[in-house]
Amino acid sequence: MLEMHNIRKIYRTVTIETHALEDFSLVVNSGEFVAVMGPSGSGKTTFLNVAGLLDTFDSGTYTLDGKDVSRLSDSEMSRIRNRAIGFVFQSFNLIPDLNIFDNVDVPLRYRGLSASDRKDRIERSLDMVGLSSRRKHLPSQLSGGQQQRVAIARVLAGDPKLILADEPTGNLDSLMAREIMDLLDRINAAGTTIVMVTHSPECAVRAQRQIHVLDGKVVDLDMPRISLAAPAGAGIASTLG
Amino acid sequence: MLGYNVKIALKSLRRNPILTSLLIGAIALGICVSTTFIALRHLFEKDPLPGKSQTLFYVRLDNWDPQRAYVAEDPKSLPSQVTYRDAMALMKSGIATQQTPTYKTRLFVHPDPKVSRPFSENIRLAYRDFFTMFNVPFQYGGAWDKAADAKPEQVIVLDQTMNQKLFGGANSIGRTVRLGERNYKVVGVIGDWRPAVKFYDMTQSVTAEFEHVFMPFNFTRPLELTPSGNSDGWKGPDGDSYDSFLNSEVVWMQFWAELPTAEKQAAYRQYVDNYVRDQKKLGRFQRPLHNEVTSIPDLMKELNAVPPAVKSMSIVSMLFLVVCSLNLVGLLLGKFLARIPEVSVRRALGASRLQVFWQHVVECELVGIAGGAIGLLLSMGILRLIGKFAHQQAPELVRLDGEMVLISIFLSLVAGLLAGLYPSWRVCSVAPAMQLKVQ
Repeated sequence: MLEMHNIRKIYRTVTIETHALEDFSLVVNSGEFVAVMGPSGSGKTTFLNVAGLLDTFDSGTYTLDGKDVSRLSDSEMSRIRNRAIGFVFQSFNLIPDLNIFDNVDVPLRYRGLSASDRKDRIERSLDMVGLSSRRKHLPSQLSGGQQQRVAIARVLAGDPKLILADEPTGNLDSLMAREIMDLLDRINAAGTTIVMVTHSPECAVRAQRQIHVLDGKVVDLDMPRISLAAPAGAGIASTLG
Repeated sequence: MLGYNVKIALKSLRRNPILTSLLIGAIALGICVSTTFIALRHLFEKDPLPGKSQTLFYVRLDNWDPQRAYVAEDPKSLPSQVTYRDAMALMKSGIATQQTPTYKTRLFVHPDPKVSRPFSENIRLAYRDFFTMFNVPFQYGGAWDKAADAKPEQVIVLDQTMNQKLFGGANSIGRTVRLGERNYKVVGVIGDWRPAVKFYDMTQSVTAEFEHVFMPFNFTRPLELTPSGNSDGWKGPDGDSYDSFLNSEVVWMQFWAELPTAEKQAAYRQYVDNYVRDQKKLGRFQRPLHNEVTSIPDLMKELNAVPPAVKSMSIVSMLFLVVCSLNLVGLLLGKFLARIPEVSVRRALGASRLQVFWQHVVECELVGIAGGAIGLLLSMGILRLIGKFAHQQAPELVRLDGEMVLISIFLSLVAGLLAGLYPSWRVCSVAPAMQLKVQ
């Protein structure tokens, strides 16, 4: 699913060069649930941004779902982000003045789907996260856990092959964090590949594999465990629904 | 996607009503000022006789002082009107399909004593061709016939205003009106004839009121009429008699000829030059040969039918609109950059740079359209006031026509685009990963 070799990412200012990723290599297979751990500033989020085509890199190769994505135009990267990747952020990143329904609708709008198709997808994904009754609520009217479930519903509506989660439980209490991890487990069980950056060992153990990053490099690579998930690419919606 | 962008833009505009009002207000002000002055310019520049104005020619001859040009500082200047004797000579050309000398005089109108007391009125004298040349529409009756021109018969044409005043707007054909010492039979009542510019006589104000009564030109000599408009001469009549005045070098009438083909126009110019050459042999026209046979559009340009103040204000007003738009760049930039977190989320969820750019351009265009609509309404009000105070003939003509409304909408869109182009580009250039972590 995701194959990075010798990725280098340097942030440059007038006076300083920061090597955020240095010879970063990682392979994530389809259907895996991988936790990426490491101290602050180790390059976890940079890796996630590069993996999610939110940021470019200076050298190395990156293949996503069999396609070399090293040198793509902005519109090609946007298209892949829209169709193949789903993001779950620590701070949920819902748009404050859109209601829940419209928030989930955002990625679908950029996909050019018909209104009825979008409506079906949104209703189904809100059902999956148990928030159908809150579709007219604004994010500010929901708890943190509920907001993260909306963010996950936004991902589910797009039915991506890969989910990139950046500390998805970082802003939640332990009970809510468990709920979110259960949800991610179920999504992974449905065949979706998940790469999750986390500081939390409790969350990391829920993944099939843990990777440790230090100073922009992978320093400790677990061997993949045998996944009990459904066959890769079966789609989230079909299994969860 | 346009509908979605409009929806997002409306939400964004509602988020900060004060800022939105400021943005819309600035565009409204710019559009109001620019539309008002462009509309005024458009009004004066508009072809008063579409399809025909290129065939109607105004004749001028340089009969002025051999020692000094008509305008002393401009050797190429020539009198703006012709003398009576030259007008009569031009009538004999036989080249023009229609022609008329014309001028205005002043006579007392004696209405029915029950209606009103006698009043002094500007009367225009012309041949019947005047009405057909200038496409004058009639509500009742029509122009007098050629026999009435020749004799002349005591007939008149009224306009709607005078017909209303004298006969309460009724069909007055066949009724009589006393002008000066004689009774005249009404043969025609002009219908709705309201060109924005008094193109047939631009020797005074182009927005001057049209005359309300018209009578056959050939009453000039028997009634010994004198002009109430401009008259000008480099030397006075040789005697005190009326005939001396008619034969003098005093210019006091306009002369129009209809010349529908290039051949006729060339022949007519030749005729005019030959006439002046003949007159030179008689001791007149001692200045270098210089005659002008000018079409209506060219004459309007030459005589500055568009008042210079309107012309310069229309340019200044466009600059004002540009300044209004550019002033909004900073406000929009601040507004858009404050939205980077949302833009980052949208980018992460699959919005391309171009889609983000258009989303923000749409918002700017909504500001432009809203500002344009308000500016348009304000402009309509201001034009109505200007019409009321500054255009005697037809205040209702000082308004926005369909063409001007379209121009105004176009200007609103351009203003919105001008204000929003840079901020939209800046916000779409932001790296998508920039603010996702820190929201």
